[in-house]
Amino acid sequence: MKNRRAISYSRWVLPSLLLSLFVFLGHIAVAFPPQKSTREELLVLPGEVGRPGGRLVVSLRGEPKTLNPLIAADARSREVIGVMQADLIHINRATQLTEPALAKSWKISPDGLAYTLVLRHGLKFSDGQPLDADDVLFTFRLYLDENVHAPQRDLLIVGGKPITVRKVDARTVVFQLAKTYGVGERLFDGLAILPRHLLEKPYKEGKLGQIGSLATAADQWAGLGPFRLKDYVAGQRLVLQRNPYYWKSDAKGNRLPYVDELVFLFVPNADAQVLKFQSGETDMISQLGAENFSVLSRQQRGYTMTDAGPGLEYNFLFFNLNDAGEKTSPEMQRKQKWFREVKFRQAVSAAVDREAIVRLVYQGRGAALWSLVAPGNRRWGNERLPRPPRSLDRARTLLKEAGFSWTTGPNGESTLLDSDGKPVELSILTSSSNADRAKMAALIQDDLKQLGMRVQVVPLESRSLLDRVTQSRDYDACIMGIASYDADPNSDISVWLSSGGLHLWNPSQAHPATPWEAEIDRLIEEQMSARTFEPRKKLYDRAQEILAENQPMIFLASPDILAGAKNSIGNFHPAVLEPYVLWNVEQLYLKNGTGNATR
Amino acid sequence: MRYLLRRVGHALFLLAGVSMLAFLFTSLAPGTYFDEMRLNPQIAPETVAALRAQYGVDKPLPVRYLSWLSSALHGEMGFSFAYNSSVAPLLLVRARNTLVLTITSTLLAWAIALPLGIWSAERLGRLPDRLLSWGTAILLVIPDLALALGLLVFAVRTGWFPTGGMASVDFETLSPLNRLRDLASHMILPVMALVFSSLPLLIRHVRAAVADVLNAPFLLAAVGHGIPRRTLLYRYALPAAANPLISLFGFSIGVLLSGSLLIEVVMSWPGLGPLLLESILARDLYVVIGGVLFSTLFLVGGNFLADLLLYWADPRIRTESGTR
Amino acid sequence: MKARRTIGKWLVTLAVLHGIVVCAGFFAPYDPGEQDRKSPYLPPMRLHLLDSRGNLHARPFVYSLKLRDGSYGQYEEDTAEPHPLKFFLRGSHYRLLGFLPGQTHFFAAENARIYLLGTDAYGRDQLSRLLFGGQVSLLAGLLGAGITLLIGLCIGAVAGYYRGWTDSLLMRLAELFLALPWLYLLFAIRAFLPLAVSPLKAFFLIIAVIGMVGWARPARLVRGVVLSAKERDFVRAARGFGATNAYLLRRHILPETSSVLLTQAAILIPQYVLAEMTLSFLGLGVPEPVPSWGNLLSSLQQYSVLVSYWWMYLPALAMAPFFLGYLGLAGSLQERGEAYKIETRSLGNLA
Repeated sequence: MKNRRAISYSRWVLPSLLLSLFVFLGHIAVAFPPQKSTREELLVLPGEVGRPGGRLVVSLRGEPKTLNPLIAADARSREVIGVMQADLIHINRATQLTEPALAKSWKISPDGLAYTLVLRHGLKFSDGQPLDADDVLFTFRLYLDENVHAPQRDLLIVGGKPITVRKVDARTVVFQLAKTYGVGERLFDGLAILPRHLLEKPYKEGKLGQIGSLATAADQWAGLGPFRLKDYVAGQRLVLQRNPYYWKSDAKGNRLPYVDELVFLFVPNADAQVLKFQSGETDMISQLGAENFSVLSRQQRGYTMTDAGPGLEYNFLFFNLNDAGEKTSPEMQRKQKWFREVKFRQAVSAAVDREAIVRLVYQGRGAALWSLVAPGNRRWGNERLPRPPRSLDRARTLLKEAGFSWTTGPNGESTLLDSDGKPVELSILTSSSNADRAKMAALIQDDLKQLGMRVQVVPLESRSLLDRVTQSRDYDACIMGIASYDADPNSDISVWLSSGGLHLWNPSQAHPATPWEAEIDRLIEEQMSARTFEPRKKLYDRAQEILAENQPMIFLASPDILAGAKNSIGNFHPAVLEPYVLWNVEQLYLKNGTGNATR
Repeated sequence: MRYLLRRVGHALFLLAGVSMLAFLFTSLAPGTYFDEMRLNPQIAPETVAALRAQYGVDKPLPVRYLSWLSSALHGEMGFSFAYNSSVAPLLLVRARNTLVLTITSTLLAWAIALPLGIWSAERLGRLPDRLLSWGTAILLVIPDLALALGLLVFAVRTGWFPTGGMASVDFETLSPLNRLRDLASHMILPVMALVFSSLPLLIRHVRAAVADVLNAPFLLAAVGHGIPRRTLLYRYALPAAANPLISLFGFSIGVLLSGSLLIEVVMSWPGLGPLLLESILARDLYVVIGGVLFSTLFLVGGNFLADLLLYWADPRIRTESGTR
Repeated sequence: MKARRTIGKWLVTLAVLHGIVVCAGFFAPYDPGEQDRKSPYLPPMRLHLLDSRGNLHARPFVYSLKLRDGSYGQYEEDTAEPHPLKFFLRGSHYRLLGFLPGQTHFFAAENARIYLLGTDAYGRDQLSRLLFGGQVSLLAGLLGAGITLLIGLCIGAVAGYYRGWTDSLLMRLAELFLALPWLYLLFAIRAFLPLAVSPLKAFFLIIAVIGMVGWARPARLVRGVVLSAKERDFVRAARGFGATNAYLLRRHILPETSSVLLTQAAILIPQYVLAEMTLSFLGLGVPEPVPSWGNLLSSLQQYSVLVSYWWMYLPALAMAPFFLGYLGLAGSLQERGEAYKIETRSLGNLA
């Protein structure tokens, strides 16, 4: 009988061994799920799930100059670079708030001076090379290197000192600031992380400025964006292909982007863009003027036009308030006497017909402005700011109080005279390439004629214009527009601060020229270091009020963001921040999945 | 021989003079390319100034001209700030696009003008000639600006033709035959505009030259000899009329690069014209000089070619130069 | 004789056309700079004789145009009130030829604004702008041609009369200018001259630039005339009598050039008007708000305007009658000058 028991035990040994093996393996399988690659952590995007495949065609007004973020200074290059590169922390264009990008999380130290960022697992450049903290260190070394002259360098100087980066481990970096900066994490938006394996050699040889041109071979360039370089035909188009290593996926786990190809067609101007869109050659259109928008809206065949609402652009008129030096002519000094009189500026502001500007220039698709903060910026607008309607009488009263008077000429027209009896004549500069601002200038010229001022509009090519306003400072008045690239006030620092290069009426001052400019400087610098929203908003509101009292910039109007796309494009949600329609390019898909249908 | 050598030297002198003039003009420009960077709130003026010094815009004029000239003689025509590339390849591509357009329209215009002009000259003063004169007069008084704009409106309204550019999106994927068709469809409108604008003057000149010759005594004598009309026309009249016609043809070649500026700009054809306009507005010095020089090259070359042809075709010139 | 009569015919036509433009203040109903901000891009008003109720009016009248409710840019006629056309009404002030004040306008509508050619982006009357614009463009062409011919006359006369190395030098210079692609040259010169000048200065600058570009061909023609005139018997005789160079030039030789100059003028003026139009069209010419035929068309560069507002195209055709007149004049002058045909036949670049 013992033998029989022994045999019955051995009958169970094998199955139980096999069973425990299975269980053991099962545990392993659960604990270590099979991955396609070395443990990637994809960023999962919420939103509509689309279908893969197809080609997107968009038009670009002009050719980009380069693909290299270190030398790209023009808007076209930045547009293209934007879809080929990625940043550590990104500002979501729809919500205007920051969210994780290449960095999956970050921590701010209690004193607000150190930002610790942790990178995702398994990140790869578009050529398959892995990314780690050394690439981040290398990137910021390039940005901060004075010999490289990267345009990004100035952004990374906080509290007078450049920020420093150090590595903690292969996936963690710490950024150290010299002073607290309320919007520290917003700094990272748009700062592309560059591939060390491709750029290190040119950097050591000092040839960074020569790489990354459009004609670079496709395998010699890489980035972390949704698309990578495929082909370039000079003067015609740039073709990008899907980055198979892109680190985002949709809610169902499909790796983004959906489309296989993104084509940028080069067109010479805005009208050519409209033509191409209308004929179906391009799939989307953005940065539309109101008139073209109306033309396209008339017959929406196969496409839909969208008015995304007020944007962040602000247009304004300003006078030459530069300090009088030895080089200032007596003519200019005489005119500056008028410009420096605050009642004169307030009178001009009262005479400007903002409603006509919105109606005639933007065809109603815009908003009148009384502050730098345009209506598209929902969080930072000051509700209590006065918004007086146009009144020529009030303007005349203000002028009279300031010592101006009128005479009547032989033809019945009245001429404004200053306190010395000289007629008030001035010229307004405007950019010759911007039709909207030229129109505003013509309207203001007529408005001021009603006050008796003789105004001459001088269109200048935009580079000469900038030269005259910021270098030679030889002008009377000027109309300009600036589109903030971010809703946060710090994006307009160089306009607010008296030392700023865009403080256009008197740029780059060594010391504030007036008490109110000094006050604004103080308010702005305080809000820069403040770390929560409420105190910053209060300070910023007060700064806006001071600006409105003194009117160094007479704000005019802000256009809506207008865009359109074919009905076959899914996930089309234009935003009011740049890039207006390509900000979610990885989520755009073709509903019929077959690609761009041509005529 | 000496005549030809003189012509060559003459041409070189013209080129040198033009390059100096062009360079001089562009140096009058205030403001440079880097000012665009200032409109970006993110970049400080020191960075811009550093880049300005790097590109050498601050050096004195003669130094810049000489450095440009030496590189031009090596085939490199300077550097474009705006396009961040060498000027020569930029110009070559655009010039090629312009030439595609202008060669086609010049050939077409001559192919129409020659027979029409001759036909009209033969019937001088009679009804068909008068009708043609009025026709060309009407075409002549319509400015080419109006023509180009009108054709553009026509294209937009009917949708039969592409309204700009040189090729469609999927040009690269088309078969060679389809590529040709695509190119042709894009070329139709600009070519029409160019032909319409140059046709009236051409017809008039051809007609004038042929009419002149038809009145000459030697031709009357030939008629008196009983020579048939066909032979008269082709073997007697045309060779004599060839002189002004060849000069005109040389001129047509000369303006191959520069004559289509307005039409290219209006119709968005990616040729030399829009590049030049853009560069003038952008103060991109070397592209402007290069472009003006290129088209002058053609003008001078066209005249030179005409001189050569005349030398070969017109015995009067050969004998005259021989007596020098 | 016949040639004389046709020349006269063309001169009269041109004089009438120019006269209308010179008296633009009278013929135009409004000041060209007057904005009507409630009526941007108004289509041309139609003249009616029959009103909405079926009555026939003695005078043609117009209906004013109002914006259709809820739309932007779509107008319809307000048939409630007809506004008859009246002549010789008092309106805005103007000065004929710059100094004769006036207030009477050729026509206007009673109690309403009449826009026979529509309005532009600021609601300015296109007809008035067309007439005043003609003043600018035609003046540019005339003055430019004048400058060119003056320069050409001086250089050609000096070269042809004094010969020798002055002649060679001047003719080389002429060839240099002839070798330059004139449109490119015009653009380059214009773009690099200061752009920040008042409309008046800009205008004269353009004229100077246009005038300086084209002197080469007239200079060569004048030189040819002077060369052959110098060898004429009566000139030789006068010289034999002891006439000075200045006397010979003034009294005998220069008058010979008149026919060439006149023909060249008739050819150059339309070319120069066209040059001004091209420059202004591309924004390098006469600036706003001063109208010129070129900048009246510049809004057509925008696709939206090209496609939506057909009446903005009309100034392009406005100069056709003028060009026709000059063409006819040039033609008949050339016919008269056939006997004097000198040097237009090119024997290559010899001599």
